[in-house]
Formats: sequence, C-alpha cells, structure tokens
Amino acid sequence: MANLKDIRDRIKSVKSIQKVTKAMKMVAAAKMRRAQERMEQSRPYSNSLAEVIQHLLPDVDREMLPLLDVRDVKRKAYVVVSADRGLAGAFNTNLLKIAQKEIDEFGKENVDLFCIGKKSRDHFKRRDYNIIESHVEFWAEMKFENAMMIGRSIIDHFTSGQVDEIHVAYNYFLNIAHQEVKSESLLPLVYESVEGVSHNRLYEPSKEELVTSLIPRHLNVQMWKYLLESYASEQAARMLSMENATSNAQDMIKDLTLQFNKARQAAITTEMLEIVGGAEALGK
Amino acid sequence: MNVFNLEIVTPIRGALDKGQVGYVRCPGLDGSFGIMANHQEGIFALTVGEIKLTRDGQDEFLATGGGFAEIMGHTVKLLVESVEKSSEIDAQRAEKSLDRARTRKSEQDSELNEVRIEASLTRALNRLRVSKR
Repeated sequence: MANLKDIRDRIKSVKSIQKVTKAMKMVAAAKMRRAQERMEQSRPYSNSLAEVIQHLLPDVDREMLPLLDVRDVKRKAYVVVSADRGLAGAFNTNLLKIAQKEIDEFGKENVDLFCIGKKSRDHFKRRDYNIIESHVEFWAEMKFENAMMIGRSIIDHFTSGQVDEIHVAYNYFLNIAHQEVKSESLLPLVYESVEGVSHNRLYEPSKEELVTSLIPRHLNVQMWKYLLESYASEQAARMLSMENATSNAQDMIKDLTLQFNKARQAAITTEMLEIVGGAEALGK
Repeated sequence: MNVFNLEIVTPIRGALDKGQVGYVRCPGLDGSFGIMANHQEGIFALTVGEIKLTRDGQDEFLATGGGFAEIMGHTVKLLVESVEKSSEIDAQRAEKSLDRARTRKSEQDSELNEVRIEASLTRALNRLRVSKR
C-alpha cells in the first residue's frame, strides 16, 4: 500500500491541475461566445454580397473573369485552417488527418499549401509539404484585415495560374458539442444563375468592373467566415475537453481520497494492535 | 417626402441601420450621388467617403471605407466594409492615425506599400472630416 504522504501529494497535484483545467474551460467558453457573436454578425453581409453577385452574374459574360475560369486541374492549393494551440481534444488531429489524406490522394508534389494556425504549419513542415504561406498567432486579436490579407494572396495564387483549384479545409461549427471537418472548394467560383431579375438596371461602373471588385470582396468575407468558424470550433472543442479533464480529475480525487482513508485506517489499526499487544505483554 | 427602406450591412457589425429614410447621399467612384424614393434599380460601387442620410428631417453623417450600394425595389442596401457614425468617431484617434499614415508615407520604400499607405491616408482624412460634422 502506498504510503500516506505520497497519496496526499498526489491529491494535491491533481487538485491544482483541476483548477487549471477549470479555468481553461471558462476562458474557452467566454471566447467561444464572442466568436459565435461575430459569426452571427458577419452572416448578413456575406449573404447580401452573395445575393448581389447572383443578381449580377446572369448579365455578365463569364469568360471575361479570371476568378470564374474553370481550367483543367493540374495543381491544387489547400488552405488548412487549424489552431495555434493544442489541448482542444481531437480538433487539430482530425482536421490535419483529413487534409493530409486529401492532399496525398491528389499527390503532395502537386499541391501548394496555405497554412493557417501553428498546428497546421508545424504538421506539414515536418512532413516536407510544399508550404507557400503560413499565418500564425493572429487569433487573439483576429480582425477582418487578417482575412483580407490571406484572401488577397490566395486570389493572386489562383489568378496568376499557379494553381487551378483552391480548397479550404476547416472545422465547421455545428453547435457547442459538434464540430465537423469540412473541405470546400473556394475557387473557381461556381454560381447558379437566378431568373427574374430586371434587366433595366443601372450599373456604375460597368457590370464587368463591378463583378471583378465584388468577387474578391466576397472571397474575403468567405475567408473571414472560415476563420470565425474555425475559431469558434476550436474554443468549443477546448471547452469540452477541459470539461472532461475537470471531471476526470474529480473522479481521480475521489479514488485517491478513498485510498488515502483506507491507508490511514490500516495504519491506525496496526498501531492499535501493537499497543494492545504491548499492554497484554506487560500485564502478564 | 417619400421614404424607402435603407439597410447598411458590414462584415464586422452585421446589419446596422434599418429603417425608413427619405434621402441617401453616397460617395460613388465618380463623385457623390443621391438616392431618393423610387430610384431606378441598379448596383453602384462606393469609395471612401461620407454617407449622408435624412431620416425624419434629421441629417445623419457616416464615414465609410467603401463598398457597394444595391437598389432593389423600394430597398437600398449599402454593403460597406466599414462604417462609423459621425458621433461615434473619436476625433483624437482619427487625428493620430492620420499622423501615423503621414509618417509612414514619408518613410515608405516599396512600391506595393505606396498604394496601401495612400489608402490608409485617405481613410484617416475621411474619418477626421466626418467626425467634425
């Protein structure tokens, strides 16, 4: 049986770990709520923008726009949105596993990578993938400008013809308990045409110019959405795993306390036996 | 005055201003233009500048970083990347960012940065101007 001091020390250390996991859970919960709010706020803009583009596209000659250009796919680019930090359950692992599988299926030498978040950068760097750009350590003060910056370089990569398709792998925020790894194609843009838009409309500047400036904005907003979804998912995953850690620590404390009491009882019993034995020996 | 629906939508603050207004003046690429009720439908690009709107006879001024205006039926939607009411703008902060942009302009080196510095300079100037309304 372990000695009393050892058990007491273990109980102490488990308790202090529990304090840490509890605090991390609360922090993650607060951050998640904020991210969720931002997600909701960005939705009207992205929906309206998509609508405007849809109203506009039937009137526009698709051939003229490099961002709508569907080419034979010889090279692809992947944007992998992960977190900067771990301790978030299977959040990063699942994402990286799925992204890597898809990339390997296409052939890793034909894929350019944009890594967002430290975890994805480190993962692919270690395995010698072709990383074009990585963006790390901006989550704490995430701004729309980050999304614009990332969006711009991705668009350049596509329009300059270095890749023929761009995919994004990220964690989609279903709800607090569920996040889903999604892999979507971002470029070339595919839009369904809608009917019933009046043709008697004013455009200033020309339709083509409007579309060419609308679409990059749309992509920025899309990028912003991916960042927010991923961030909210990360915090939700962390919250859940820290919640589990806290309750595991609770169980452990319970077990250890039981063990401690048993050991203490056993020590008292032996001591009493010794005293009784001694007294009997004296009395004879 | 006939009124129409106005919606201002931004990526960060969501759908901001909803309501009935009589008149909106927007900064178009070739200068400002006004929209009143029953305007012809269309889509217009907006640049950095000032939005003026008249609601119940009261004028309101907003600074914007550019975007689009869509007129559909009796609704005007302004999709702008940033928007601030004149009363919300902190004039001191605007002045500081203007100074920052000016210093950066005087010590800039690369070609690519020039465009962005110029843009931030215009934005700062615009915010400062609108804040004085």
